[in-house]
Amino acid sequence: PQETGAVVCVESDIRGDVTIGARTVVHPKARIIAEAGPIVIGEGNLIEEQALIINSFPENILPDAEDIEPKTMSIGFNNVFEVGCVSQALKIGDNNVIESKAEVGRSVILSSGCIVGACCAVNTCEVIPENTVIYGSECLRRVQTERPQPQTLQLDFLMKILPNYHHLKKTVKASSTPARS
Amino acid sequence: MATLLQPEKVLYLVRGEKKIRVPLSQLYFCRYCSELRSLECVSHEVDSHFCPSCLENMPSAEAKLKKNRCANCFDCPCCMHTLSTRATNIPAPLPDDPTKTTMKKAYYLACGFCRWTSRDVGMADKSVASGGWQEPENPHTQRINKLIEYYQQLAQREKLERDRKKLARRRPFMPQAFSEKYGLGTRLQRQRSGAPISALYGLSLKEGEDQKEITIEPAQALDEVEPLPEDYYTRPVNLPEVTTLRQRLLQPDFQPAGASQLHPRHKHLLMKRSLRCRKCEHNLSKPEFNPTSIKFKIQLVAVSYIPEVRIMSIPNLRHMKESQVLLTLTNPVENITHVSLYTCEEEDPDDINSTAKVLVPSKELVLAGKDAAAEYDELAEPQGFQDDPDVVTFRKSNKIGFFIKVIPQREEGDVTVAFKLRHDFRNLAAPIRNTEEVEATSEAIWLTHHVELSLGPLAT
Repeated sequence: PQETGAVVCVESDIRGDVTIGARTVVHPKARIIAEAGPIVIGEGNLIEEQALIINSFPENILPDAEDIEPKTMSIGFNNVFEVGCVSQALKIGDNNVIESKAEVGRSVILSSGCIVGACCAVNTCEVIPENTVIYGSECLRRVQTERPQPQTLQLDFLMKILPNYHHLKKTVKASSTPARS
Repeated sequence: MATLLQPEKVLYLVRGEKKIRVPLSQLYFCRYCSELRSLECVSHEVDSHFCPSCLENMPSAEAKLKKNRCANCFDCPCCMHTLSTRATNIPAPLPDDPTKTTMKKAYYLACGFCRWTSRDVGMADKSVASGGWQEPENPHTQRINKLIEYYQQLAQREKLERDRKKLARRRPFMPQAFSEKYGLGTRLQRQRSGAPISALYGLSLKEGEDQKEITIEPAQALDEVEPLPEDYYTRPVNLPEVTTLRQRLLQPDFQPAGASQLHPRHKHLLMKRSLRCRKCEHNLSKPEFNPTSIKFKIQLVAVSYIPEVRIMSIPNLRHMKESQVLLTLTNPVENITHVSLYTCEEEDPDDINSTAKVLVPSKELVLAGKDAAAEYDELAEPQGFQDDPDVVTFRKSNKIGFFIKVIPQREEGDVTVAFKLRHDFRNLAAPIRNTEEVEATSEAIWLTHHVELSLGPLAT
């Protein structure tokens, strides 16, 4: 289910209760899977091919256990999920960039302006401070003075061009039961 | 299976000043001395300098002036990647009319890997795409230059005195042309075992100039040292702000402790080197001058002259039991090569690593010449060599496979065997000594190499 204004290609795989904000672009072959709770995605995000955003059960808890509350995964605005990344973080702020093949674990909370570099796996249980850059094979960190720029040019271009080549998923009203559209 | 092809499994012994065991792919072959040479028994000389990112050639004199750094390219001080110049549009007031604003391009440096930008250290954006970036000045430059001049003069004076003392008249030494490059590089200078300051002599003034007396002030020792700030032990450390040792030491002038003082530096130049045999002074490897070209003008590498032994398959090796190991021999030259293998004798001084006995085929192995067109010729005729099927398993153009028998002598550890490889080598490059004899084929000389194979651990 999506609000008006988002561009979601038919070839993307969206399962469960997912809300996508306006001006967000979801490329084909992106996967957004809401298994253990709903996912709310904000505005102006860019989710590229083969990116995986998954709200899954923590590994050591069975899905049938009774006192599991569904936790909502929320993603802010102007984030970029590059090709092939895996994001399980429950809370992502604004203006973050998760580069190609990066992995973000469930206990990580990304604030604003963070950049998780290519192939970096962040599995710690912490809040990443603002404007942090994680880079390199050993996941070194540094702080940059300004946040990464929002990809407005890219988003505008994609919103014009993608409908020419792909069918889009149609909007489903928010009151209906969550189902694969 | 691919692990058997690793070059470190088969080592050839080089008998130079030191005995070195190296895979054949890392060796050179001097065809004037007819010996193998490794990187340690050749002299390395600098051929040319170039920048690895803009691939610009630089003559050596200019490189020395610029301290071996490129003029256009910068390194990220944070992750040492190459910096790229990015442009943004900023509104700027027109010079004629301060009220209107127009878009002007401003350039800044950015790293694609760690996302460092020149704005992080406070460097303002420049209005030109290249050439606007300056490295910060070292505050001690003047003092260092003065000290260098003083010591150069001292070295020159000492050298003149030493030369005057020598009784034998040496032929004029021509220091200027040779000492321009790196003091101890050329062979004339290498033969002198002089005083330690002779290295500085290479950088000195020309002898004809009048020599001013340069005096320096001695360094002054200070009694008082700046005290540490009071909260030095109690202030919490801001980890992202602290520079790593590597980042700090890449800028030895300043060695900043804080990341906000890390300025970018110009990129280091790389160099192309040529190798020269120390005994006969012939060039073994000379690359091309153009930085974009990877070819060589002279390339006397060992793999194109010496037959190469490779391990093809190893059976389970058991203590004191004989097993057959399959090896291949490849012939790199175009004429037929005869190879014979010998086991090392009992007290062979080269044979220090072998932990197993080996039995090599006693007959001579014949290898066909390398024919570049053979792979395209589908109707290749059989080569007509009579091979003993117990020894030679297969034959394919210039390669044969053969068995050796290995008997591991130790109960534990890796199995290593060694043997001698003797082959004939036709020297096509040797100068014709006797101009009266006109021989169509050059003489073959027999070369012997000591080869060691590491066959891995015993089977459990």
